[in-house]
Amino acid sequence: MARFHDLEVTDIQKTIRDAVVVTLKPVNGAAEEFDFTQGQYLTFRQDFDGEELRRSYSICAGKDDGILQVGIKRVDGGAFSTWANEELKVGDTVQAMPPMGGFFTALDAGNEKNYLGFAGGSGITPVLSILKTTLAREPNSTFTLVYANKGVNTIMFREELEDLKNTYMGRFNVIHVLETDAQEIDLFTGLVTEEKCAQLFNTGWIDISSIDTAFICGPEPMMLGIAAALRTAGLDDAQIKFELFASSQPGRAKRKAVSKDAASGANQTTAAITLDGSTQTVEMAKDITILDAALDNKMDAPYACKAGVCSTCRCRVLEGEVDMVANHALEDYEVEKGYVLSCQSYPVTDNVVVDFDQ
Amino acid sequence: MAEDMSIESYLAAGGVLTNPSNVPPRYRAELMKLMTTFVDSELAGAAGFADVINAGPGIKERIAAAKIVLEKTDNADKVLKIMGEFGVDGDRYANHHPWTARLDRDADIGASRTRQDMRLAVFNYPLAGWADAVVMNLLMGRAVAVQMAEFSMVSYQPLAEAFRAIAPVEARHAELAEEGVEKLLETEDKAGLQASVDYWWPRVAASFGSAASDKAETLKTMGLRKTANADLKARWEAETKAILEKLGLKAG
Repeated sequence: MARFHDLEVTDIQKTIRDAVVVTLKPVNGAAEEFDFTQGQYLTFRQDFDGEELRRSYSICAGKDDGILQVGIKRVDGGAFSTWANEELKVGDTVQAMPPMGGFFTALDAGNEKNYLGFAGGSGITPVLSILKTTLAREPNSTFTLVYANKGVNTIMFREELEDLKNTYMGRFNVIHVLETDAQEIDLFTGLVTEEKCAQLFNTGWIDISSIDTAFICGPEPMMLGIAAALRTAGLDDAQIKFELFASSQPGRAKRKAVSKDAASGANQTTAAITLDGSTQTVEMAKDITILDAALDNKMDAPYACKAGVCSTCRCRVLEGEVDMVANHALEDYEVEKGYVLSCQSYPVTDNVVVDFDQ
Repeated sequence: MAEDMSIESYLAAGGVLTNPSNVPPRYRAELMKLMTTFVDSELAGAAGFADVINAGPGIKERIAAAKIVLEKTDNADKVLKIMGEFGVDGDRYANHHPWTARLDRDADIGASRTRQDMRLAVFNYPLAGWADAVVMNLLMGRAVAVQMAEFSMVSYQPLAEAFRAIAPVEARHAELAEEGVEKLLETEDKAGLQASVDYWWPRVAASFGSAASDKAETLKTMGLRKTANADLKARWEAETKAILEKLGLKAG
């Protein structure tokens, strides 16, 4: 299982008003663990008022930049991103897991490929890492970037992209599509939708027939539209690589498991079990597991190993208390939030409320 | 670009998820089930086949069998690594169950699984010697090919990619089995091989699941399934029947 490591913040730069680029240095000899592949992300953890939050941010550095860098854009109401933008400073220590993710293709200096990247807003971070690495390591490949933003002043890495255009003249091209700012070419104004992509392909701005691989990172509707246009243009699923960091990332835990009615004599528990949006209240003995109680009552509760190792049967205890006899899959922070492995959990209190949908 | 869309409607519209942080709870559970079913089947399949390596009539056959065992274990590992990103301890998982365990050859469990693991029911039946193992591997290998084509399109991109890498390896196993049956037909009694086909045919057929599954719609909206069980089974039946007929055998 992946572990968290300490990283020192060695530099923080603002790229636009509400986004920072944070340079990190692994400490305690963990440098090797952080040898990333272009396009991967880091998962950070940080305590906020005693509650642990985890957030993933893509590495924006290229393989040959010799540094580890992530871009963090502030999200409204986002505790982690606000903290990173407003409070984080050089010299601080943060904790992250080693790089993960498969948003990349294998590079080979002999390749003569044409890559196409789509990035929406802060979705540029992994795409920047990919295009920098690709241009440096495949001298005969080209990269076209379609970069969607609200307006000129929200374009992250704008200058860096201009510099790259000069460095890799003829091999790197950027098309900025701006939602609100008018541009000389009408086609470059608005949202990057399926129709917009089709127009870019049909008008010759992008020679889609020559494209080997496309990378897409942005919000959900944009990803859907672009993928549809690419498929229509003849690309198959193996040629389209996605990275999604949804806007609707689960927020802070709202409720904690509370234990009430702890004292009890009888061997019976009333369990309210929610699954797929409906709640069933069942009477169960305290010597059977929550999972078995659900299954015995014809609920199609998820499970696989029944040995506490796979976590398929995870559910959340909202009220009451259960005793989880084995846990080889959930981490401490999940347990703190009330998650249990239902195959290993026996009711302790006379009433329990559990939810498989949370 | 800030327009909001729920993960559920994104998936229903054909969107893909790329890392554990966006995966909704019910999706996570179904995805984990899909992965454990594959891993358990590969581990149980490899373990069962390992026992017959030495029954191979010649060194070529033993090499082929050992390669299949190695590669099926490796395929399990590929998917186990993805489970690891969801917090599963892969080392412990690989050892939490005796994968060589089998039921009786005439046990009647239909498509149901035993309660301890998620292997497909077919992997609960023991192999009866070399020829039987080769026939089972041919029929199941063809079924895996059909399943891999389906699961290479799942909406969890890392898993879809793993299955795309696994598919040609599994396809090769079915080819090796076909070559194996061909070789056996030169020396073995045809009736014995036909008896194995008759034994395994309904059991492999059952591994496609029931025709009318309530789950199907839910899985479809999550992008974890595309084709109905019955259609996958029909495809397998047609393809495998043709191969058997070419070999001079009859589909069950």
